[in-house]
Amino acid sequence: MDTEALVTDYLGRLDAAARSLPASRRAELAGEVRQHIEMALAEAGGRDEVTVRNVLDRLGPPDDIVDAERGADGPPPGWTISATTGPGTQSSGWGGNEIAAVLLLTLGSVFLPIVGPLLGLIFVWASQQWTNRQKTIASLIVLVVLFLPFILLLGARAGTTITQSVLIP
Amino acid sequence: MVLGEARKPFTELRRGVAEYCVLAVLRDAESYAFDIVRVLAQAGGLVTSEGTIYPLLARLRRDNLVTTSWRESDAGPPRRYYRITREGLAALVAFVSDWTSFRDSVDAVLIGFKKGEA
Repeated sequence: MDTEALVTDYLGRLDAAARSLPASRRAELAGEVRQHIEMALAEAGGRDEVTVRNVLDRLGPPDDIVDAERGADGPPPGWTISATTGPGTQSSGWGGNEIAAVLLLTLGSVFLPIVGPLLGLIFVWASQQWTNRQKTIASLIVLVVLFLPFILLLGARAGTTITQSVLIP
Repeated sequence: MVLGEARKPFTELRRGVAEYCVLAVLRDAESYAFDIVRVLAQAGGLVTSEGTIYPLLARLRRDNLVTTSWRESDAGPPRRYYRITREGLAALVAFVSDWTSFRDSVDAVLIGFKKGEA
């Protein structure tokens, strides 16, 4: 494997693991780790595969690094940031993604049935204000409401078949 | 004894003491992340994943236990230097005292237990 690809792959996994972090901290962490890799490689004086793998091994699994953002007994990271930045900063404001999501999920389900709420979910997941937990709950609600008629319909059909087969042996 | 079982409590313990070890490294002189993690790694057993130094330093920064400044370096891009604050020093002094009595208590129980068994 190409050694540049090893580094890119590692940074990609770190970025994915860091999804739950506030955007600014996520970018900062990626920069810090990238610089660490560069310094370690410069110190080792080579960029062959064994050296690169060794440097990445020493950094540890990306999940470990993101877990460490939580600390020994502190609250989850998203929490800490919004608590320290206080009111009036951009972290508490809604952007285009949030407004689009709410409009599509509410008015969208009337004017653009099925398509509206599904588009709304895309904006929900693009939001950097909402946590993954909130996004998952929103998605589950929308999907259940959308598919409820079908589930009930299937349930009713299954019900009638069973009753028929019981009544008419 | 199973090795995995023996090591697990140390993950938690390491997590709890790591930030004070960083403050101790910074007690006498300011330093940058790459160097701090090397000092801790040389002490042995304190750092398993070097990358976790960055979340740890970010937390110390947020808690105002350290301050940072960017400095040009001879090789490569500017480095972020960390310096212990007055609050950091106070936290370190308090921890050293707590740790010493904690360590003595654990040692007393462990050694007493060992003697009792022999």
